[in-house]
Amino acid sequence: MEAAKLFSASNLDVYRGNRLVLSNIELSLNEGEVVALVGPNGSGKTTLLESCAGMHRMTSGKVEWRDDNGVVRIIRDFEGRRKRLPPMGLTLQMDGICGDETIEERLSTALSISGRAPSSSDLNQMLSAWGLDHRAVDPTAQLSGGLRRRLAVLCGLSPAVMSANPRAILLDEPSEGLDESARGLLVNWMRALAAQGHGILIATHDPEMIAASDRIVSVLEDGTLSSETQDCLAFAGELPDPCPAIEPNPLASHLRWAFRMEVRNPIDTISRLLPALISLLLIHTFVGEKEILASGNDFLAALIIAPAFISVLVAPALIKRYAEADCGRWWSALLGPMHRISSSFIGASLILPLPLIYISWLILGDTAPAETSQDVLESIWIIGLSLIDVSIAAAAVHLLVSDLHRSNAAAASLLLLILVWPFIELTDALTIILNDGMTFGLGMEEPFTMILLASLTSVLIWLVAVFLPDV
Amino acid sequence: MFGIVVISRKHVGWAFTGLGSLGAIITAILSYTYAPGVDPEAWKAPEAYRILFWHVPFAWTSFVAFTILFIGSIAWYARRKEWGWRLVATGSDLGLLFGLGVVISGPIWGAAEWGVPWDWGDLRLNTYALLTGVALFIVLSRRSQPDGINTRDTLSTVGLFGFALVPITALATTLYRERHPGVIIVRSEDSGLDPEISRVLLIGVLSFSLLMIGLSILTELSYRLRAELVELQQRLDEVVH
Repeated sequence: MEAAKLFSASNLDVYRGNRLVLSNIELSLNEGEVVALVGPNGSGKTTLLESCAGMHRMTSGKVEWRDDNGVVRIIRDFEGRRKRLPPMGLTLQMDGICGDETIEERLSTALSISGRAPSSSDLNQMLSAWGLDHRAVDPTAQLSGGLRRRLAVLCGLSPAVMSANPRAILLDEPSEGLDESARGLLVNWMRALAAQGHGILIATHDPEMIAASDRIVSVLEDGTLSSETQDCLAFAGELPDPCPAIEPNPLASHLRWAFRMEVRNPIDTISRLLPALISLLLIHTFVGEKEILASGNDFLAALIIAPAFISVLVAPALIKRYAEADCGRWWSALLGPMHRISSSFIGASLILPLPLIYISWLILGDTAPAETSQDVLESIWIIGLSLIDVSIAAAAVHLLVSDLHRSNAAAASLLLLILVWPFIELTDALTIILNDGMTFGLGMEEPFTMILLASLTSVLIWLVAVFLPDV
Repeated sequence: MFGIVVISRKHVGWAFTGLGSLGAIITAILSYTYAPGVDPEAWKAPEAYRILFWHVPFAWTSFVAFTILFIGSIAWYARRKEWGWRLVATGSDLGLLFGLGVVISGPIWGAAEWGVPWDWGDLRLNTYALLTGVALFIVLSRRSQPDGINTRDTLSTVGLFGFALVPITALATTLYRERHPGVIIVRSEDSGLDPEISRVLLIGVLSFSLLMIGLSILTELSYRLRAELVELQQRLDEVVH
């Protein structure tokens, strides 16, 4: 009887740069087999492996995966359809690990995304097998290259190790950087997983890995494939027992991960707070009461909103974290079409605009008309909330720019100019509040309408920046 | 045969560019020597209005360039057409050039007439500035990023981003407080515009249109030749390796 397919890629054409790297590819991975992708450097092994995970746009063809219910779904196709992968394991060539996460956290995250809830003894057992248990609470940035690679490989294998259901595992150059004992362990675990019905696809040059596979698929120079089967003589090792299943919630895992990274190393908060506070202090120092009174309430309104507005325009630290060792691509593969949406929210400044706008008001509001001061104090939070919308839109624009191969060389600020519109709306709204007090009417000249319009403009910008790139 | 076609296109491009440039210079001269002054009672800086003879043609040609960018972005985004990408490249280059003309000449007039160089509440000025920003982003990114499908996908998305957002958000936010003046300076009975001013303006628009056509031909041709060069280099790479 033919083994069931875990995933298949059919009629696949994929370009990298201007070069057609994969041409009319047909590839599938069955339960219980280890498949080695081989070929010279630049032949397209990594592209093929990553395309199977839905990570690349294709000019023809489709990739389909089977889920735990036996339903086969298109994960990505040439018409731009994209869905989230079913639970699986993935190790990228560049590890995909952010240096701020601890070893235990990383393993736990890889498992929770795939719908597993390991106990600390489960985690410890796996880390111990790979010689990482003594570093469990260390940040991965402190690991040597070899230990980091061990962790990346373990995170790729663990969703299958901890699962009783067949899983597909994709490993890109897994043995690269591993010492002899770790390579031996990898071979033993791969064979044991295959014996349990899991499927493993590895891109490799390593003869030891190739010898441990059941099928060798060669990527040829013209971008096509040739395939041959072989009898594998490698021994299966002993695996830890599977752990309980939970409903996978990658978005919650993503949010938890981002929160932990920021708490541990609050670069996002600092990089937003600092320019805002500097601008506020400069305004306070150099713009006197006379100038404000002479220029009117619209000037005062702009000064009050400016520091918080500056803070929301700053590029999210999340993008820097994503850039580290392909971390963002790992998340993108596992979150699928939700990655951009999720990242635009968790990369935005969701808290700072509110305290910043109140601090601005407390420092600069002395010159405001006394009769409307109380109104401003009671209603300025609505403007702060609208600035959070602006921040989410700004994060989406930054993410759009980060799609570029050399995103550090791209001037994202040019696209952020568009956020001047909501800033103008909010300034006008605050001017009216300063002049006449807050009202909640829905007329065009009402402050509430203007704030609403600023938020709607931000939502529109967010929609375009989030959905256009992935259509 | 192919060589002749390329050479003749190049000559046509240069001819249009030369004629257009000459016309632009003549427009500038006529704006001082032939076009009448405007009512000094009605305007704060009546002499400054003469910048309009370049400002309006700049606006017209940049609008055409942004439209080329938009069409190219759609063609690449939807069907990955090579000609679409060449239009993106051409449209962004020319959009930047003529857009800068608008956003430089506009504030010069604004500073003289309004007393402030920039009005954030102004629909047209801001829209052109934002679209010029988008064009500048695409031009800089095309130079800094490796050429390939992914880069083109992202930049064509940015082209669409600009077009999808700028007019809509601009309209949504400034519909009811536009400050930009109309083009009417002095009305005559039949045309609505002083005939001498109309004539100079027409010469300006025609000249800038010729300049735009010439530069479009030359820019598109240079990108076509560059694409051929890249293809030949890739073949050479394969031979070397």
